[in-house]
Amino acid sequence: MFVTVLFALLFYVATAIFLVGLGMRIARYARTPAPLKIPTTPAPTTRGGVVVRMGTEVLLFNSLFKANKWIWLFGFMFHVALALVLLRHLRYFLDPVPTWVVLIQPFGMYAAFAMVIGLAGLWARRVFVERIRYISSPSDHLMLALLLGIALTGLGMTYLWHTDISAVKLFFTGLMRFELNPLPTQPLLLLHLFLVASLMVIFPFSKLLHAPGVFFSPTRNQVDNPREKRHVANVKWMIAVEKPAASADQ
Amino acid sequence: MANFETPELQETVEIPALKKGVMSHSRPFVSKEQFQAPLGFPGELADDWKDVAIAKLGELLKTNRALQVFMDSCVKCGACTDKCHYFLGTSDPRNMPVARQDLLRGVYRRYYTLPGKYFPKLVGATDLTEEVMDQWYSYFHQCSECRRCSVYCPYGIDTAEITMATRDIMNAVGKGQKYSNEIIGKVFKIGNNLGLPQPALEDTLLGLEEDVKDETGIDVRFPLDEKGAEVLVVTPSADFFAEPHIDGLIGYAKVFHAAGISWTLSSHASEAANFGLFIGSNENMKKIAMRIREAALDLGVKRIIFGECGHAWRVAYSYLNTLAGPFDFLDPRYPVPQHICEFTHDLIQRGVITLDKSRNDHRRVTFHDSCNVARASRMGDMPGGQFVIPREVIKAACNHFYDMAPETIGEATFCCGGGGGLLTDDLMELRVKGALPRMSALKQVVEEHEVTHMAAICAICKSQFSKVLPYYGFQMDQIISVHQLVSDAIVLDAQQ
Amino acid sequence: MPIEAGGKTYETDEEGYLADLNDWNPDLATAMAKADGADLDENHWEVINFLREYYEEYQIAPAVRVLTKAIGKKLGPEKGNSKYLYELFPYGPAKQACKYAGLPKPTGCV
Repeated sequence: MFVTVLFALLFYVATAIFLVGLGMRIARYARTPAPLKIPTTPAPTTRGGVVVRMGTEVLLFNSLFKANKWIWLFGFMFHVALALVLLRHLRYFLDPVPTWVVLIQPFGMYAAFAMVIGLAGLWARRVFVERIRYISSPSDHLMLALLLGIALTGLGMTYLWHTDISAVKLFFTGLMRFELNPLPTQPLLLLHLFLVASLMVIFPFSKLLHAPGVFFSPTRNQVDNPREKRHVANVKWMIAVEKPAASADQ
Repeated sequence: MANFETPELQETVEIPALKKGVMSHSRPFVSKEQFQAPLGFPGELADDWKDVAIAKLGELLKTNRALQVFMDSCVKCGACTDKCHYFLGTSDPRNMPVARQDLLRGVYRRYYTLPGKYFPKLVGATDLTEEVMDQWYSYFHQCSECRRCSVYCPYGIDTAEITMATRDIMNAVGKGQKYSNEIIGKVFKIGNNLGLPQPALEDTLLGLEEDVKDETGIDVRFPLDEKGAEVLVVTPSADFFAEPHIDGLIGYAKVFHAAGISWTLSSHASEAANFGLFIGSNENMKKIAMRIREAALDLGVKRIIFGECGHAWRVAYSYLNTLAGPFDFLDPRYPVPQHICEFTHDLIQRGVITLDKSRNDHRRVTFHDSCNVARASRMGDMPGGQFVIPREVIKAACNHFYDMAPETIGEATFCCGGGGGLLTDDLMELRVKGALPRMSALKQVVEEHEVTHMAAICAICKSQFSKVLPYYGFQMDQIISVHQLVSDAIVLDAQQ
Repeated sequence: MPIEAGGKTYETDEEGYLADLNDWNPDLATAMAKADGADLDENHWEVINFLREYYEEYQIAPAVRVLTKAIGKKLGPEKGNSKYLYELFPYGPAKQACKYAGLPKPTGCV
């Protein structure tokens, strides 16, 4: 029971920090003015074009592909696998389980391997490529360790030490209704859940902010139409009544 | 004079092994009180400079979404690490875009994020110290704000934005760069970067009229401050002063003459470049931009056209409408502003002017895409028009055109090595080394296609290459203006 | 870094350009050239004198083209080109010759 209460609290707190922290960050990005037009050109000249550009960035990592095929390969592999794995996990939170979630289960299971390979590839580059080693701080390694830990503990439960997954589901669906159902105390499960909660807590304060950040990146989300449409923003230097340039003479 | 070694030209772009700190000595002269004051900056570091700097950073984070998002979003993936020409030319790891950004990001994390406040070592957060400020001064003056890294970053992080912000912070505490700030002062006082007063400009333009008359027998005018002209031409003051820039100016004049469109230069806005961009000072950038609006209103023109100037075209194309608009008093049939290449291209397309390509048969030409034209602006209606239109103009003016390797042109173009406020003699080592990728690409087309000349549409590129080409075994006059090709090929009435 | 000429010391900026234009005298030009390892002959002086005259009138150094044209008129058309000027002043006529003439350094994208 102690474990159940502890993890219930942990997940309530982690979810709160995740949602509030991320929400505040996104609000901050949205509120901060982008005073000037700075799309990296060639850039789309219409809103629709920007949606396509953002789509290729977020779904295909277009710029990264141009930059470096290895980083793209490992990064893309990891992110697609992570998405599949996350979607697969919806079955532990939704009742009844939607058909499409059932259908992706087998892909989600194998995706975990792709996730591990992707993470291992990225970590290997971080360790062995001199340039990337130079720019890495301890937190960059820890982040990979954390993600790898989550993936490996998950894989462990799928293939080696099974846990009572229906009890886990009862625990989480219960949490969503503010009811406490007992959580199995299998160590691998507890470790998996602890790492996931840690990730949620870290998210709004770390480089994981790249996920919302990319959508707010002016070099990618601005329309290239400064001559056609006057871009204005509410910043002091722009709206201040200007002195004529000649007054700077003295 | 040179106390450094010019790097060896390479077959393809080679990624060097890291040599830590080899460029930490490179730093431009620090500005003095006399150059700081006209821009509204303190003359020297005050006792409370750290607080001022941290507060300024906070202010910028609140007023520039790009900076805030870029500070948070980097995942250290390494995609940008081999993209900067200064890194490729110097091997100094601090010239890798992410490592340069981290000089500011470390301070941001320390003072503006929770993990940086409580676990600085873990996340690479650093206190702002004099040593950090020295590193800022050194390495944020080894970024030419060329945006090449931003093309490859999966989040579009643009180091140029971070360089501009850091230079803005440094100016706010009184640690400005002499080159840029002295020049901005001259723009306010005299009207252009050179400090070329109206009478000297007038004399130079009269001299050019004589020269063209001697050469062609035709009265091609170089009008100054002529009210009621159709077009105001705003061009870098280097076009009045330096080689090969001035041959481009002669080209513009011949195009206007042949097209029969009246035009004028302005002594009030006798400079296209806006160095406010380089130092990240929006206030000063706006003030400089306003001169152009004032000149257009005063002279009663209907159109504004910019001459060959890379960063100027960025500010003109992307910012002028924001900084000095709206331009509803101009002829709405034309974009405001237009680039001289757009103008000439249109005239060629419509058959208004005629070019005799054979007059450039002694030249085999390649084209250097200037960084800020390529990655921060556009020409024409289509995305990428900034690559197509200048090439179309060149191809209409000469028979032999050859592009450099695709990974070194277009959106992937390498900076000349002198952009972003670094075109100063006190940074000669950096300029020579930063030119390595471009020089290597040039060598390749020289060997493969016997290219004799490289054309460009940026005053900085032209000056930088004139100076740097000889270091790599080329001739200084192998760099030319695009409108010099037009000038030599254009058929003027009396010659027909 | 101050420079000495004719027993007097003169202030210069970081790059050796004279701080006060009015301090200039021919000895100073010779001393500056010597510091660069160069001797000034009459051809150099033609350029330096022209620069000073032009500056007197216009408060700025002449454009390279104006300079070459003037030198061409004075010393003959074969010398009225920038190649010749670069032979005289290898670090660039605009910058090196301006320095010896006591003029401020041309600034901007040049």
